[in-house]
Amino acid sequence: MKRYEVIVIGAGPAGLSAACAAAEAGLETVVFDENARPGGQLFKQIHKFFGSREHQARVRGVRIGENLLKRADELGVKTVLGATVLGVYEQKEVAVRTEGEVRSYRGDAIVIATGASENMLTFDGWTLPGVIGAGAAQTLMNMHGVRPGARVLMVGSGNVGLVVSFQLLQAGCEVPIVVDAAPRIGGYGVHASKLARAGVEFRTSHTVVKAIGAGRVEGAVIAEVDGSFAPIPGTEETIDVDTICIAVGLSPMSQLADNAGCEMEYDSAKGGYVPTLNDEGLSSVPGIYCAGDMAGIEEASSAMIQGSIAGAAIARDLGYLTPDEFGERAERWRRSLDGIRSGMFAPGMKGRTDITNTDEGYPLSASLLARGFLDGADDGIFPSMIYSGGMRPIIECTQNIPCDPCQDACPRGCIVVGEDITDLPRLDIGKKCTGCALCVGACSGQAIFLIDDSLGDGYGTVGLPYEFLPLPSPGDPGKALGRDGEVVCDASVVEVRDSKAMDKTPMLVMKVPVSALGRARFFRPAENKNYA
Amino acid sequence: MSVMIRRKNDSPFAPQPDDGMTVCRCEEVTKGEIRRAVYDGARTFGEVKRRLRTGMGLCQGQTCQRLVLAIISRELGKSVGDLGKVTGRMPVRPVLMEELSRSGVEGMESEGAEHHE
Amino acid sequence: MINNRIKEHPIIAGFDKGPEVKFTYDGREAAGFEGEPIAAALRALGVMTHRYTVGSGEPRGIFCAIGRCTDCVMVVDGVPNVRTCMTPLRAGMDVRTQAGLAAKTPTPFEGLDPETGAFLSAEAVSDEAI
Repeated sequence: MKRYEVIVIGAGPAGLSAACAAAEAGLETVVFDENARPGGQLFKQIHKFFGSREHQARVRGVRIGENLLKRADELGVKTVLGATVLGVYEQKEVAVRTEGEVRSYRGDAIVIATGASENMLTFDGWTLPGVIGAGAAQTLMNMHGVRPGARVLMVGSGNVGLVVSFQLLQAGCEVPIVVDAAPRIGGYGVHASKLARAGVEFRTSHTVVKAIGAGRVEGAVIAEVDGSFAPIPGTEETIDVDTICIAVGLSPMSQLADNAGCEMEYDSAKGGYVPTLNDEGLSSVPGIYCAGDMAGIEEASSAMIQGSIAGAAIARDLGYLTPDEFGERAERWRRSLDGIRSGMFAPGMKGRTDITNTDEGYPLSASLLARGFLDGADDGIFPSMIYSGGMRPIIECTQNIPCDPCQDACPRGCIVVGEDITDLPRLDIGKKCTGCALCVGACSGQAIFLIDDSLGDGYGTVGLPYEFLPLPSPGDPGKALGRDGEVVCDASVVEVRDSKAMDKTPMLVMKVPVSALGRARFFRPAENKNYA
Repeated sequence: MSVMIRRKNDSPFAPQPDDGMTVCRCEEVTKGEIRRAVYDGARTFGEVKRRLRTGMGLCQGQTCQRLVLAIISRELGKSVGDLGKVTGRMPVRPVLMEELSRSGVEGMESEGAEHHE
Repeated sequence: MINNRIKEHPIIAGFDKGPEVKFTYDGREAAGFEGEPIAAALRALGVMTHRYTVGSGEPRGIFCAIGRCTDCVMVVDGVPNVRTCMTPLRAGMDVRTQAGLAAKTPTPFEGLDPETGAFLSAEAVSDEAI
C-alpha cells in the first residue's frame, strides 16, 4: 500500500493551504479531490474578497485560487483529481476511487477538508427543472459560461445569495426579487446595496411557496411569513421567473470525519455535525486534522488559514518543524483568523437580530437591513458619508465587517480604518482627494463613490464602481439611479476610468445636477441590454 | 431490518396539507411518509432511512438528510442536535459494486457487515 | 429563442472550452463544446429535463451541478445514471433523456427553432444577439 506523509482530502482553499504548509516544511503531501478541477469553489468566486491585505482582500477568489494552485505546484504537492475518497479507516488509511478502481493509501497524517453541501428548501414544485442551488448557478455561469435562466428569483439573502445574485446580473440575467424568510437581510449590507441600486427588490420576511409550471419553472409564488416562518394566507404574489435559485445556507460535509471515528458534535452555529477539534484543527483521532467548511461554515479566507495551521501542526508532529517554528507561524495565523472572524457578521453572530448599533455606536440602518439600501434617514450619521465639498470619496460602508483595503488604496491617506479592520472607515478631510479612483476599485463591497460639485453650471459628477457590460462611453446618455434603484434624474457619462490596479472594477463618472449628488449612485444607459 | 415499534401514541396520525411534497428526491419519499414513520416509532435519521430508503438513493442523503432531520425534529419536538448522530458510512459517495469488488480494499467487508447499528 | 451562452463577461476573460463538437440528444443532432459538462451544453441549448423519475415520472433537471444530487443523470452512450454535470462532452456522444433507468425520447422539446423546427446547434445559438 502506497504511503504518504500527509494525505489531504479536498483540494479547496482549506485543503490546498494545508498541503502547502505541510509541503513547505518538507513533507511528502498528496491531495485527493473528486472533481475534475482543483480549487473547490474558489474558481466560481469572481468577486473581490474581504479582509485585510494578509487575507488577500480585494483579490478575486478565482485569482486567489490560481495563486494557491501555483504555490502548491511549486512546493511539489501532488494533486490527484477525479479521485473520490470513499472512506477513512483505522491506521489512517483512505480508500480512493480513481478511474473505475478503488485503491487504499496510508498517511502518517490526514487532513479532511471536504467543504460543505448546500442546504435546500422544500416547497410545492421544488423538484421542477429550473429550481437550482446557488452553487449550480455559479457553476453554470462562472465556470461554463452558460446562463442558468433568464429571470431568476433568489431565495436567501445571506452573502451567498447576494453575491450570486450580483453575478447573475453580470452574466446578463435578470433578478427581479430576492426573498428571505428572516426579517433582516442576512449578508453584508454593501452586497445588498449593489443589487438594490441596480433595481433588485428585497423582500424580507418572505419566502417562496410554490414553483409554477408544467415540466419546468414558469413562475413562482412568494408569500410573507409570520414570526414562526409560516406563510401568511392572503399575502401570496405570483412573479414571472423561469428559474428559482436556492441560497439558504451550507452544511459541513463531515461524513468522512465521522467515518474515521472522530468525535462529532452538533453545533448549529457551525451549520450541523462537525468534528470536535482543538485550536490546531486536530480531531479526537491522533493524526487526523480537519479544516475549512467541513469543520464549521465560514468564509474561504478562514478556511485557508485553518488549513495552513493544520498543515504546519502536522509538520511539527512529524518533526519537520520545531515547536517554536510552529508556534511562531501559528500565532500569526491565529491573529489573522481572529481578525477575519470579528465584527457583526462573525461566525458566532449568525442569526442574531438584536444588534442595533455599530461598534462605534452609530445606529444600524433599518432600511439597509430590510430593503438593502440606505435611505435619507441614514444621511449625516456616518462620518464617511458626510460630503464637505470639492472632490471627495463618500463611503457607504455602515456595518462592522472585517475589511480595510480602502485605507491602503488611497495614496493620500484620505481614508482611515485603523488597526481594527472591522472599524468603519473614516475620512480625513484635511487630506486632499485627487479623484484617482483607486479606492473605488479597491472596495470589495463597491461602496465608495467619488463626488465632485465643481463642474460648474450647477452640475457635479458622481464616480461609481461599474462591473457590467457593455461599458458605457463618454457622452452616453442615461438615467442616474438612487440607492433604491429608482430614477433620480437624467445623467450622462463623463468618463470611464479603468486601470490594472482597479482589477476590472472600472469607475464610471456621470454628470448630474449638484442637487442629485447625494442620491445618484448608479447609472442606467439609455439603451440597456443587461437589465430593464 | 425492521424499525422498532415504539408507538405509545393514542391519538390518530394527523395529516398535513403538504404531506404529498417530495423530500427525498432520489427515492421519491414524501413528507407525509416521513411523518408517518416518526408517528409509527422511528426516532432517528437511521430508523427513517431503513424504513423509507430516504438517503439511500444515488445522492446518499446529500440533499435530504438535513430536511429529514428537520421533519423528525419538528414531529418529536426535539432539537436536531438531540436526535443522535447520523452515521457517516463508507462509501460516502456512490460507487459501482464492480469497482469495489475489483479493489480488494480492506475494511470494505467489515464495513458492509456492520450494517446494523 | 433559446440562447443561454454568455458572449462576453465583465470579469471573466473567457471560458475554457474545447472545439465545437456534434453529439446527439435524444437522437437529434446537437452541438456543444468538447470538455464542457454535458449538462452545460444542454442548458445552453435550452434543455431543462434530463430525466423522469422512476416512481411518479416527474421531470428533473440540473439541481446542484456539482455531482452531488444526481438529479441530472441521463443515459450516455447506453449507460444510465451518468451524472451529466460531471461528465465532459465528447464528439459523437449519444445522450438520451432517462426515464427510470432506461432511455426515453420525450416530446415536446423546447430547444427547437420555432421557425424551422430544427434542433438548435451551439453555432446557431452563439450567432444570436444577446
